[in-house]
Amino acid sequence: MTEEERDNNLENLFRNKLEEKEMVAESDLTGRFMRRLGWKEFFRFPPTRFNIYYVSAVIAGLTVAGLMLLIPPRGKDTVPDDLAPKNGQTVTGANTEIMTERQNENEIPKVTVTEAASGTVRAEPAPGGVTERQNGIKTPTGAGENDIKVSKQGKDEVSVTQATMPGAVISASVTSGCVPLRVSFRNPDAATGTAEWSFGDGGSSGENNPDYIYDLPGTYKVSLTLTDQRGRKTMATEVIEAWAGPSASFEIRQNDPWGESDKASFINLSTGAVQYLWDFGDGTFSTLSDPSYKYERAGSYNVTLVAYSENGCADSLTINDAFTDNGTFIRFPNAFMPNAGGPTGGYYNQRTDEDNQVFHPVTSGVTSYNLKIYNKVGMLVFESDDIAMGWDGYYKGQICTPGVYVWKVRGTFRNGQPVVMAGDVTLLNY
Amino acid sequence: MLWKQYSGYLLGVCLRYATDRPEAEDMLQEAFLRIFFNLGEYSGTGSFKGWLRKVTVNTAITYYHKNLRHKHQIDIDDYVSTETGTSGFEEDFYTAEDLYRVLNELSPGYRMVFNLYTIEGYKHHEIAEMLGIDVNTSKSQYSRARAILRKKLEDLTKLKGKYT
Repeated sequence: MTEEERDNNLENLFRNKLEEKEMVAESDLTGRFMRRLGWKEFFRFPPTRFNIYYVSAVIAGLTVAGLMLLIPPRGKDTVPDDLAPKNGQTVTGANTEIMTERQNENEIPKVTVTEAASGTVRAEPAPGGVTERQNGIKTPTGAGENDIKVSKQGKDEVSVTQATMPGAVISASVTSGCVPLRVSFRNPDAATGTAEWSFGDGGSSGENNPDYIYDLPGTYKVSLTLTDQRGRKTMATEVIEAWAGPSASFEIRQNDPWGESDKASFINLSTGAVQYLWDFGDGTFSTLSDPSYKYERAGSYNVTLVAYSENGCADSLTINDAFTDNGTFIRFPNAFMPNAGGPTGGYYNQRTDEDNQVFHPVTSGVTSYNLKIYNKVGMLVFESDDIAMGWDGYYKGQICTPGVYVWKVRGTFRNGQPVVMAGDVTLLNY
Repeated sequence: MLWKQYSGYLLGVCLRYATDRPEAEDMLQEAFLRIFFNLGEYSGTGSFKGWLRKVTVNTAITYYHKNLRHKHQIDIDDYVSTETGTSGFEEDFYTAEDLYRVLNELSPGYRMVFNLYTIEGYKHHEIAEMLGIDVNTSKSQYSRARAILRKKLEDLTKLKGKYT
């Protein structure tokens, strides 16, 4: 190889190998380049020239400024360091004594608040009884006035300060029930500030211990806001559930259940109910939905239906004197005309006694019976214990003289009512 | 997209001019920035790829000038007598990475001249103008670079031979 050939050989080696060589640019490099390109693009134009990048930068700046204006700076949460007590130290507030305790540095400080006046312990949060709020600030729950705040400073220091505001608590007599639901709300922290209640259905109250009635079923979020003299607010919420109540209703199909085979049928028309209790008024009960019942004794009974909803809400309907005794009566005519041809024996048929030759009552439901008939001088001229036998107008085979006679009846209806009636009847001239 | 399509190719170019890979990547980014902001200047005549390469090479030259004062040192062994063998080099024996490494080991001045002359195909007086040096300097640097490269390649050959 000559010198020239060797030179060409070397040059060719590099030229051939490297001239069109493609290397792989990692995606990392791509990303870096894109960012760089973005910045370059941003600063490429003079600020005086309209440029979408500047417009977005100005918008972003204005947004940040607006947010900073809208969000008020947070209040001071912890006391200065010189006031911060060491672990286990006791701090005395105006009315309370606050002590923090902690076994190790990772534990949430245990806080004891003692009321100086009464000596009672107001709050002694169990583990977990301290609630953590933003920025690691822990507030013991359940503490009242002169509440405290505990914040972790470093690893082994606890700072305690008179708290800004205690938490409000809602005490409700019931939190769920059937409509109309009456709830007695209590605000145990009346001394903290003025109360403002919102009952969740648009109703509100400024009383400390309001009573409220929920008429409509639903779930209501009740809130109590306490505002102290310095305008600070604290709020508590409670959920009240008002359940829909059933509506009890029924009809009685058979109004005259005294017949031999007749039963009274009760038609249940209740809504919103899943369970029923019938009181038939004679000491008998049923839990069927649509029972039928045969009374042992006829009478006037008060029938009550109690309907229960899923939640146990109840409604009742009572029909008083459900069986007013239309079926039992006894009525007497005031005149009759005996058969002139001779005594008939008094037997009659209610339907066929069209000649009205026998004096007898029209009855229904009479179980025992005694009829006595007297003449004008008070002499008994007829007596019968059989309702099927009336007076034919004869006395000892002789037809009685026309005129007025007095009758008297004693007996009982099948419902137990006594039958005591008296009246007069005119024996007409035959 | 432009970056996706040509970054590999232009990275290859940059590697020839750079001392190491980070520098090549930096150079590549600079070159692409130029390309993006000067796309309008592409005349439309000639190959686009060629234009890209030209911009990249120009970037490399700018880079070279910018960093000249930091790199104006020449390895002592660059001056050592370069007695070399007489055989040629087999193309298949060397990987592109080998050649890049050899190039990277050159001092920047030699590398510029060698690249521009051998691969980009500029004449010595053009190179002298671009780099702001004398024509003769360009020529002597070129021949010296060539000699050093040959020496290094031979060393590499021996080294590789030992292991293959």
